[in-house]
Amino acid sequence: MHFGLPHDASLDGFRIDRLIALGAAVQIPIVIILTLWLIASSVLWGRRHPAVSDRGSLRHRAPLVLSLLVLVLLAALDAVSWVQSNRDLDQHFWNFGAAEGDPRTVRLEVNAHQWAWAARYAGPDGRFNTGDDAVTLDDLRVPVDTPILIELTSTDVIHDFYLPNFRLKQDVIPGRVTRVLFTATETGEFEIACSQHCGVNHYKMRGLLRVLSQEDYRRWLQLASANSQASYDPADSAAHWGWDWQREPAGS
Amino acid sequence: MSLGFARRVLFPSDHKDVARQFFWAGLGFLLVAGCFAMLIRWQLGFPGQPVPAVGKLLFPAGRGEVPPASYMKLFTMHGVLMIFFALSPILNGALPVFLIPLMIGASNLAFPWLTRISFWAFALASVLALASFFVPLGTAASGWTAYPPLSSNVGMPGAGQTLVLVSLLFVGLSSILGGVNTVTTVIRSRAPGMGYFRLPLTVWGFFLAAILNVLFFPVIGVAVLLDILDRTLGTQFFAAAGGDPIAYQHLFWIFGHPEVYILILPVWGIVGDLLAFFSRKPAFFYRGTVMSLIAITGLSALVYGHHMFVAGLSPMLGKAFMTFSLLISLPSELLVLSWLNTLWKGSIRLATPMLFALGVVLVFAIGGLTGIYLGTMSVDLYLHDSLWVVGHFHFTLSAASLLGAFAGLYFWFPKMFGRCLDERLGKLHFWITLPGVILVFGGLLLAGYGGQQRRLYNPFALAYNQPLQTLGMLTSLFAYALFMGQLVFVFNFFWSLWAGAPAADNPWEVGTLEWSTRSPPPAGNFASAPRVERGPHELSDPEVQQKLGRDWIGQAESLPR
Repeated sequence: MHFGLPHDASLDGFRIDRLIALGAAVQIPIVIILTLWLIASSVLWGRRHPAVSDRGSLRHRAPLVLSLLVLVLLAALDAVSWVQSNRDLDQHFWNFGAAEGDPRTVRLEVNAHQWAWAARYAGPDGRFNTGDDAVTLDDLRVPVDTPILIELTSTDVIHDFYLPNFRLKQDVIPGRVTRVLFTATETGEFEIACSQHCGVNHYKMRGLLRVLSQEDYRRWLQLASANSQASYDPADSAAHWGWDWQREPAGS
Repeated sequence: MSLGFARRVLFPSDHKDVARQFFWAGLGFLLVAGCFAMLIRWQLGFPGQPVPAVGKLLFPAGRGEVPPASYMKLFTMHGVLMIFFALSPILNGALPVFLIPLMIGASNLAFPWLTRISFWAFALASVLALASFFVPLGTAASGWTAYPPLSSNVGMPGAGQTLVLVSLLFVGLSSILGGVNTVTTVIRSRAPGMGYFRLPLTVWGFFLAAILNVLFFPVIGVAVLLDILDRTLGTQFFAAAGGDPIAYQHLFWIFGHPEVYILILPVWGIVGDLLAFFSRKPAFFYRGTVMSLIAITGLSALVYGHHMFVAGLSPMLGKAFMTFSLLISLPSELLVLSWLNTLWKGSIRLATPMLFALGVVLVFAIGGLTGIYLGTMSVDLYLHDSLWVVGHFHFTLSAASLLGAFAGLYFWFPKMFGRCLDERLGKLHFWITLPGVILVFGGLLLAGYGGQQRRLYNPFALAYNQPLQTLGMLTSLFAYALFMGQLVFVFNFFWSLWAGAPAADNPWEVGTLEWSTRSPPPAGNFASAPRVERGPHELSDPEVQQKLGRDWIGQAESLPR
């Protein structure tokens, strides 16, 4: 039986894992202290022990010190979590400004619908929703060691773009564009799942994220874009679900 | 059926009769929603296998396995029924309606007719919720949170979803009226001498929960009403084009997070009192405990955004909510620590109510601590909407609330029904229930830590979840053991109602006012109006022991000079 974290294939996932480990290092001792306290009190001071009345005051020093220790431990955990979480979000997970300015950044548009993930790549012209866009279904391909910036929306209900191996979740909302940012550190196939109840086949809304070497990615994108261009039909409006890259989506 | 009996059922004038009605309704729904949980656990432990014994009956279309569409209904209605139709009527209906007048020394609630209307609204809501199962396409299936657009008539075309939403309106009406009644009663009807700082902690819990009920049920009422209009009249309040689906989430969680505290505050109060009673000591730092309760009640309205950390909130707003979400852990911890201090050098009697109260301390602490990850925004990127969330809120909302409700029930059963529950069966019930909830909800936490999301019909269709399959199966087996353990309670309950030993007026030897009258109390509650002279847990006072030869004194009892 296994119940550990899924394999981490991302540049920043460890930042989450270490906050989880820190939390466990504080919380597990607190639960142990508390359990021992409950058991010890029941055993030591049972029916035959006459209650020492303190009129609810702070007279007993030992439990007070122990309580204070627990409270300080918890407050410290809160403080460290707060500071570190803010820093991780600003500088890494949600540092969209840096990714927009980085010339290496690869951009994708993802349109979720019941029950699949459609992805769109800008193609050689660098613009979305044009004839040279490469479009895939349930099959995202990204280069390794490169910042990946995805703008997401949905055409029906709310979905959630979940990459367990990258420690990422982002709701995908109809009528709005939301964003995710990550960097893969190893090549391979990883699963994309939906994490927001979206109807009867929610559990089947599974896509693949293929992390390719940068060389393989370039070659694949060229080929895919050329194929799209060859079969492009300007009259097929349903196929033009893309949008102009937002940079600063409203509401975020 | 005699006319008198019908009148007593339909137009009870005594708060205690209405309380018993809430109580029976709540217990019934607890059983139904518990059965739903068993079916959910079957699918998560043994996905796609025919359900033993009842499968063919419930799901006749196939071989008796749970179909995906039914699974959605099960997890939706498990949540709706547990929260609004089982825990709420017990913790915010039966117990406060029964106890508040008795504990503050009043003859009835401030508005007896409001008490009745509150139950009627609840009864109507129950009928609507139950009817939703029998309309074409069946009951609601968009999760208890009912996020649009999934809960719109495009995502959920059946009338069942509408019926459930309408039933929530009536639940809301019932809660608001009940809340107004409770708040007014506590403010206006306290016996002479019963100052706010002489109230039993239980009453404080009910009082603060009632304030939250009155303040926040109107908000979900608005959300639900707009969703109903979208579904029936074609308005587009929450539609992506023209409206805003996220607006619903704000409205829902402004209510939804305080709702957690609405269900847990009464339990905190009960636990605070019981730990003092059964340690034979006054509650540690009573005023500090009350202040913590008030602080948590205030903060509870300022943390709701952590339910929306990944919904595209502006990071600025998210950080504000993270700050309050982490802050609320401190008064909560103060509460737990004051309970632990109450136990120090007491004379602890491990009667069944006390065992359950001690159980609440443990599971609530686990529930609270596991929430810190979810309040930490970056960690929530990974754990949001996972089984970690489900495990966390089941520790607080289900384990703590349910153990607390049982603690209260074992404690006040003699007062409510005039008979005693069997102690040995009660202890057996506890020793199955406590390990049961820890193993079952602990299993959920572990699965969430492993990456498994909530509300998946077959989690193992995703490869990264497959290592969690054995864990899922074990969790299900523990859930069945936990469920079977509750049958001990059901048996004890009915057997004791019928053949339990007659209860003394004050079997636990404590001083709060409800124990100074008969078991069960007569209409009007007290033979003469009590004059309160002291706080709720004046136990083991040397002077009292010397003068009265016992370790307790009634709140309205005069000490001989």
